[in-house]
Amino acid sequence: MQETFWQKRLRDVAAVLVVGLFMFPLFWWALTSFKPTSAIFDKDGIVWFDFKPTLVNYAVTMLGKSRAELAIESGNTFGIGGASSYDSRQTIIDSLIVAVGSTALTVLLAVMAAYALSRMRFFGRQAYLNWILSQRFMPPIAIIVPVVFMFHYMSLLDTRLGLVIVDTLINLPIAVLLMKSFYDDVPADVDEAAMIDGATRLQIFRRVVLPMVKGGVAATAVLCFIFSWTEFLLSLFLTNSIRTLPVKITTFVTSTGSEWGFIAALGTTAVIPSFIFILLVQKQLVRGLTLGSLKE
Amino acid sequence: MVSHHAPGLGAQSVAGQSLVVDVPVSGTPRRRVWPRFLTSEHPFPWLAPITALILAFGVYPLLYALWLSFFKRNPITRLNVFNPTWNWGKLFADERVWGAIGHTYLYTISALAIELCLGLAIALLLDSDRKGYGLLRALMTLPLVVPPAVTGMMFLLMLDGSFGVLSTGLVSLGLWPAQHPILASGSTALAGVLLADIWQWTPFMVLIMLAGLRALPKEPFEAAAIDGATASQAFFRLTLPMLSKIIALAVLIRGVDLFRIYDYVKVMTDSGPGTATETLTSYAGTIYFKNADFPYASTISLFTLLLVIVTSSIFIKLFKVRF
Repeated sequence: MQETFWQKRLRDVAAVLVVGLFMFPLFWWALTSFKPTSAIFDKDGIVWFDFKPTLVNYAVTMLGKSRAELAIESGNTFGIGGASSYDSRQTIIDSLIVAVGSTALTVLLAVMAAYALSRMRFFGRQAYLNWILSQRFMPPIAIIVPVVFMFHYMSLLDTRLGLVIVDTLINLPIAVLLMKSFYDDVPADVDEAAMIDGATRLQIFRRVVLPMVKGGVAATAVLCFIFSWTEFLLSLFLTNSIRTLPVKITTFVTSTGSEWGFIAALGTTAVIPSFIFILLVQKQLVRGLTLGSLKE
Repeated sequence: MVSHHAPGLGAQSVAGQSLVVDVPVSGTPRRRVWPRFLTSEHPFPWLAPITALILAFGVYPLLYALWLSFFKRNPITRLNVFNPTWNWGKLFADERVWGAIGHTYLYTISALAIELCLGLAIALLLDSDRKGYGLLRALMTLPLVVPPAVTGMMFLLMLDGSFGVLSTGLVSLGLWPAQHPILASGSTALAGVLLADIWQWTPFMVLIMLAGLRALPKEPFEAAAIDGATASQAFFRLTLPMLSKIIALAVLIRGVDLFRIYDYVKVMTDSGPGTATETLTSYAGTIYFKNADFPYASTISLFTLLLVIVTSSIFIKLFKVRF
């Protein structure tokens, strides 16, 4: 069914409008992060562009300045407050450590396990795969209370290592199934040829197959990073002083009012790494989201 | 290549491996130092690390939770006393649990329906090879990777009764009564939370549907066009049936995630106003954080898991989903 000229234009307009609608919250969020408090809380009407852009929100959350300091510097005493609890530098470092650590651990373990699941035939293989899959479907809330107890005894509560372990646990099923789908794309002939040449499984894995799925490993790593970076429930339950970004941000909502400027600034900062990474793995995204069962 | 030079071990070539041994490529014959299940030829060493991790931090806590659910917590002495029926009895008599089940199913099913229909429509819209559509599709993936807690915050700000851009916009357009803030009213709060979910996860459906659409064979559509089928006939008779497997898969994956919704509710309404947006997971969280009744929180969590298993099993059987 060939589209006519006007049908094409209609589709263009509709597509841009729909995507624009979905981009609006992001745009509004970024805009808010540059607004002074007076423009965010204007009850007379919504302030669109009629404000003086400011970096105060970023200075408080990213540089650890207190608003009092900033007010003295600028000679403007509006809205003094905003203590050191809004300083989020440590939070960003902690989030990065947890995300990178759990990504590394997940990828290391998944790359190995998925190889065996893709290449070896053994009793109970399908059942094992189903078991891994079922782990993906388990709600984290079902295990969180005992994990708190366990971590308490193991002195892992409120530590980065503890978060790395649980994030790894959550990411493993996705990573294993995804990696398996990438290995499945490499024909088994490759292994067999190497095996005839006398290579062991470990040698085949390291020197032959792994280099062929490099792209898949990268995609898996990126997805694990994003899942770990955005994870909320587990770090809410397992930490008090070490806060990952999503949890830290919610502490800016207080009973005396929400610091929307700071929230927007930190929120904007939080989405930037995700956006960069997701644009890198556009091709493998569908496969990642469907646990390797759908390829684009 | 590995080179063993241990004299005395000799070439203990085993039948079946002799073919490998006789080929002098790696220089030395392979011999057996380790028991076979510890070598890389056996799946055990490959799978042992993840199995151990999942058993220790996934399966053991689950059994622990089950064990915990058989204890009654005394709020004053803070001691847990063995009483296997206490929490489960309480669960079924607890009206808040039934309310939470209702909210959870209502939320899951409406989100699935809206996200699926919107996702399919947007996928059809963006399924074009013309210039610029690649960029639009890439932009469409961005909401997916925003931390859900941040998404909740975004919509909390935009839906704020006095200075939120969405609520003010709706009021000034006359689409919404000003005295009725969306998130602060019991009857609409769940819809407000749903809005955040729809914004974040419709792109998930769009992506999967696009992948499905792109994989469709061209011939049936050409044949239908020759036979004079209209666009809607082609969609309902060809596109939808051919996409049905992918739709079922997407609904299953999304549905399981929707069922355990926690982040948006916690951030946007904290189960309120009252218990208007209380879901099973958020109720378990409340019991944990506010009442510190760990056994009962475990019981509610396990019950959530049970409902996930039952509902998804029925779905898998009904729609024959395969991974």
